[in-house]
Amino acid sequence: MAIPILTVFINLFYGPGETWNHLVVHLLPNYVQNSVLLIIGTGILTLIFGVSSAWIVSRYHIPFRKQLEWLLILPLAIPSYITAYTYAGFFDYGSIIENIFHVKIDVMNHVGLIFVLSISLYPYVYVASRSFFLNQSNNIIEASKLLGAGERKTFFKLILPLARPAFIGGLILVLMEVLNDYGAAKYYGISTFTTGIFRAWFSLEEPETAIYLSAILVIIIFLLITIEKWQRRKIGYFNATKNHQKVKREFISTRLKIIFFIIAFIPVLFGFLVPLFQLLYWASLTYKEVFTSEFLVISLQSFGIAMLSAISTVLFALFLIFFSKWNRLSWMKSTAKIGVLGYAIPGAVIAVGVLIPTLSIDKWLVTFMKNIFDIKIGFIINGTIMALVYAYLVRFLAVAYNPIESNSLKFGKSLSEASKILGASTLKTFIKIEFPLLKPAILSAFILVFVDVMKELPLTLILKPYHINTLAVKAYEYAGDELIAEASLPSLFIILTGIIPILFLNRLIAKEN
Amino acid sequence: MLQCKKEQKKEAVKQQEVNVYTHRHYKADQELFAQFEKETGVKVNVVNAKADELMQKMTIEGAQSPADVLITVDAGRLVRAKKKGLLQSATSDILNKTIPAHLKDADNNWFSLTKRARVIVYNPEKVKEEELSTYEALTDEKWKNRILIRSSANIYNQSLLASIIANNGEEKAAEWTKGIVANMARSPKGNDRDQVKAVVAGEGDIAIVNTYYIGKLLNSKNPEEVKVANGVKIFFPNQNTNGTHINVSGAGVAKYAPNKANAIKFIEFLVSKKSQEVFAKANYEYPVNKEVVASDLLKSWGTFKEDTLSLTKLGENNKKAVLVFDKAQWK
Repeated sequence: MAIPILTVFINLFYGPGETWNHLVVHLLPNYVQNSVLLIIGTGILTLIFGVSSAWIVSRYHIPFRKQLEWLLILPLAIPSYITAYTYAGFFDYGSIIENIFHVKIDVMNHVGLIFVLSISLYPYVYVASRSFFLNQSNNIIEASKLLGAGERKTFFKLILPLARPAFIGGLILVLMEVLNDYGAAKYYGISTFTTGIFRAWFSLEEPETAIYLSAILVIIIFLLITIEKWQRRKIGYFNATKNHQKVKREFISTRLKIIFFIIAFIPVLFGFLVPLFQLLYWASLTYKEVFTSEFLVISLQSFGIAMLSAISTVLFALFLIFFSKWNRLSWMKSTAKIGVLGYAIPGAVIAVGVLIPTLSIDKWLVTFMKNIFDIKIGFIINGTIMALVYAYLVRFLAVAYNPIESNSLKFGKSLSEASKILGASTLKTFIKIEFPLLKPAILSAFILVFVDVMKELPLTLILKPYHINTLAVKAYEYAGDELIAEASLPSLFIILTGIIPILFLNRLIAKEN
Repeated sequence: MLQCKKEQKKEAVKQQEVNVYTHRHYKADQELFAQFEKETGVKVNVVNAKADELMQKMTIEGAQSPADVLITVDAGRLVRAKKKGLLQSATSDILNKTIPAHLKDADNNWFSLTKRARVIVYNPEKVKEEELSTYEALTDEKWKNRILIRSSANIYNQSLLASIIANNGEEKAAEWTKGIVANMARSPKGNDRDQVKAVVAGEGDIAIVNTYYIGKLLNSKNPEEVKVANGVKIFFPNQNTNGTHINVSGAGVAKYAPNKANAIKFIEFLVSKKSQEVFAKANYEYPVNKEVVASDLLKSWGTFKEDTLSLTKLGENNKKAVLVFDKAQWK
């Protein structure tokens, strides 16, 4: 699993290409500046959107709470570059807004990009915080109240610091997505680190420089994660009592109800309803051309590939976590840690990391079969689903590994050890004890990977086999030809196939409680 | 003996095919591919991706690459593919006869299929046609804060600059980029259509775009886009000098093509009169086949003198162009 990433790293030793100096002098300062700005802006905004809405729906009785709970996750189903297009379209010249209000708001700038990325990525923070808030024992809140702290003080002094590990996990996913974004930033004319990777690779024809840049990016992200972990270790989180009490929702005044409703509704409105509205409008203009039998086939293919990849990724994450646990293989754990970095590397670079080693296997197999058995075979891995699924696995392992691992840490070793002392085998312990306990985490991991695969673009473009297409690729093709209205129907289908598992995920979190 | 027969049988059963790596994914192309299948019985397998990614894929696949034909947008990339040794020479009387010399590779490594002109569109209420002349003249101070053009990451801009490097020299070209950056109405963003919209919205007065996007806007399902296209006029620059810059999409036979004969047949089909009419009508591109007349829409824009600079030059100067852009801080 770590092979593609190691391939990228090995290339580091060859150094960057000849235009490195040019890049450092003329482009890099701007790229770094923009990336830092995006990270800070999006980081703050996603935390505000994600944590506030999660707290409100977990803690208070507000109108439409049940609906808001799942609506708040839905922006996750829309690829962020599509959201970027819809906002440009929504406020653009000749848009509905412009026609009615005669204002033209320019969203294609830094502020606009931060807004678009935040509004489409905050659900990562929301999901993580909400499951923490719901599971948070009521005792803490009550103790705090007994000691005379008000609601606000309890939240800022107690709950928020305690929830930190949960939402930081979500935040790191957000930041990785931000660094990885290409479509939205490019369309809005903002050059980021990823833009630099693509420019070095394709415009300047220096893959080595591109890989060098991505390796630096990976190191930055690795540092971020390490700093966060190190800081957290110093604090240590304990839950003194084992009797978790369900969070009791507070009844609040009508005025507060309305305010809280508005706060929780804003992310839904801008992250989901506005883009959806714009897409539906575009689709109403173009569906006749776009909706064909081929389109249905592509939808099915997308769905199937996403299923297969999500299942493989989750199984592999489980294997990594438990196999190393059972056999006390610490090297495996560190390898897994490298593998998890895949999420931080641009899809296009992962694709190359996958292509290089698998092609040598393929080529070896072709020669081997020809020399020994005189049989002509084609590539077994490349140009087939195998390479594609493998690459998704590398790319999205983090999405599955992190929640399962953190949950398996939560219930600790005592349970499984008790089971073993009572004579149950490792396998039996896994099936009877660990798996049922982990089921919610496993399912949510599955759903997140599924939705991510449905949206994935750069890697899919490079590795997908003949005759197979995905909705994301289809949407991209239209958008690439500047047929953005035509791209709306495939985008809507991605959203639709994303909504079902997301609704499911929501029920899981609620049930966990 | 038996083995031999078996293999022969296998060969016969194996369907004729041609594997196409293409950057283009227009509906018109798909229709043409289907038409080719119907006429010849050769199955067309398509891999769609960005040209740069396809080339990267072919490089890594090496001799085992299944690709037969590479189709890309912009000559710059075709030249790049040739330089990387991804293409091979394909001799065909039909191709030689149909395609003018400056629109194909000297060694027959690639052939143009369609042309687009990179023109100036302007807001007729703010700009008089007489004020416009050449790309070079756009650096004049009177255009300050009036020019709209997309990012330098875009290959059409790279090729335009590559042609200026070829025609006027690198120093002049560097001055030109600085002049344009100084006259930009806003920092580059969006695509060609967005530049046209911005002209109509009054953000700037002129934009540099490809003709075929105007065709797309005029035929858009979105009534607002049609309105936008009607709000601008097209000007073909450099008519008294070297001609308007054009870029092309084109095709080449892959170096290790397993089905070379089919590949050539396929490209010949795409430049045939019938196919070229489809390109011109459905995609608002100019045909490369001289026998084909442009569609009514294209004719309505008038005829123009095109830059006959060998397209090979565009590819050769591409990297230089990117570096010049960066130095001028053209985003």
